Amino acid sequence: MPSDYESDPAVSNLRNYLRIRSVQPNVNYDECLTYLRGQAAELGLPVQVFEPRPRKPILVMTWEGLEPALPSVLLNSHMDVVPVFEKSWTFPPFEAHLENGVIYGRGAQDMKSVAIQYIEAVRRLKAEGIRLKRTLHLSFVPDEEIGGGPGMSQFVKTEDFKKLNIGFALDEGIASATDEYLIFNAERNIWHMTVVCPGK
Amino acid sequence: KLDSTNPFWEAFKAAADELKLKLDCRIFPGGTDSRYVRQVGIPALGFSPMNDTPVLLHDHDEFLSADIFLKGIDIYVKLLTAVANV
Repeated sequence: MPSDYESDPAVSNLRNYLRIRSVQPNVNYDECLTYLRGQAAELGLPVQVFEPRPRKPILVMTWEGLEPALPSVLLNSHMDVVPVFEKSWTFPPFEAHLENGVIYGRGAQDMKSVAIQYIEAVRRLKAEGIRLKRTLHLSFVPDEEIGGGPGMSQFVKTEDFKKLNIGFALDEGIASATDEYLIFNAERNIWHMTVVCPGK
Repeated sequence: KLDSTNPFWEAFKAAADELKLKLDCRIFPGGTDSRYVRQVGIPALGFSPMNDTPVLLHDHDEFLSADIFLKGIDIYVKLLTAVANV
């Protein structure tokens, strides 16, 4: 039985986030920050924005737990998406086209969906009056798709990051074509090689 | 590590079992921000609740079904409750 996805607030939230063109290269994150501040205001959560590198903001929403001295849980997602070859798309990649229960858009899998799922899960828990023991920090970081150099790699070295007192973190996985869910506890080391061909 | 030395993993796994999620644990084929978090000694898991979905990250016509998306919210409600109450 098809649901009315057009009017579902969580689906609308995802589609609005997908419509923000946070596409590499040289992303301007202002629109993401405005959008995320609006989400935090709806949730009633305080926001901090850190900028270890100029114009590379990291936004953190915090839901304090009942025992805030305990190490916290980090829910991380990146705001940027990889570029598109628009001509190869059936629907415009930043329109968040919804058809037959399917949402098309750059970032639908990687990973704006996960960012909104964190937000919606917190919204539901709060609406039910539930309080959690540990503090949850929802971080939204820039430039993962170009290696995280100006983003997370800088942030983890800062005092601001240490102050979050994180004990455990979740971040993106990947889609699975079967009924199984994939989970990753490590990843490959990436070695970029430069091949120089001087010619004759 | 995905064993009893990590109480967050145990809570995550228990919640996933309760939801009857079939988990397949692997090494990530690419690079994510998790590596920086792990480098400073924080255990991190990569997980996006998208099964029955073709792998289209970075591809044309990237999509996600609204059903899978909404089910993912239910999954996080349980998982976040579990790991934040360790």
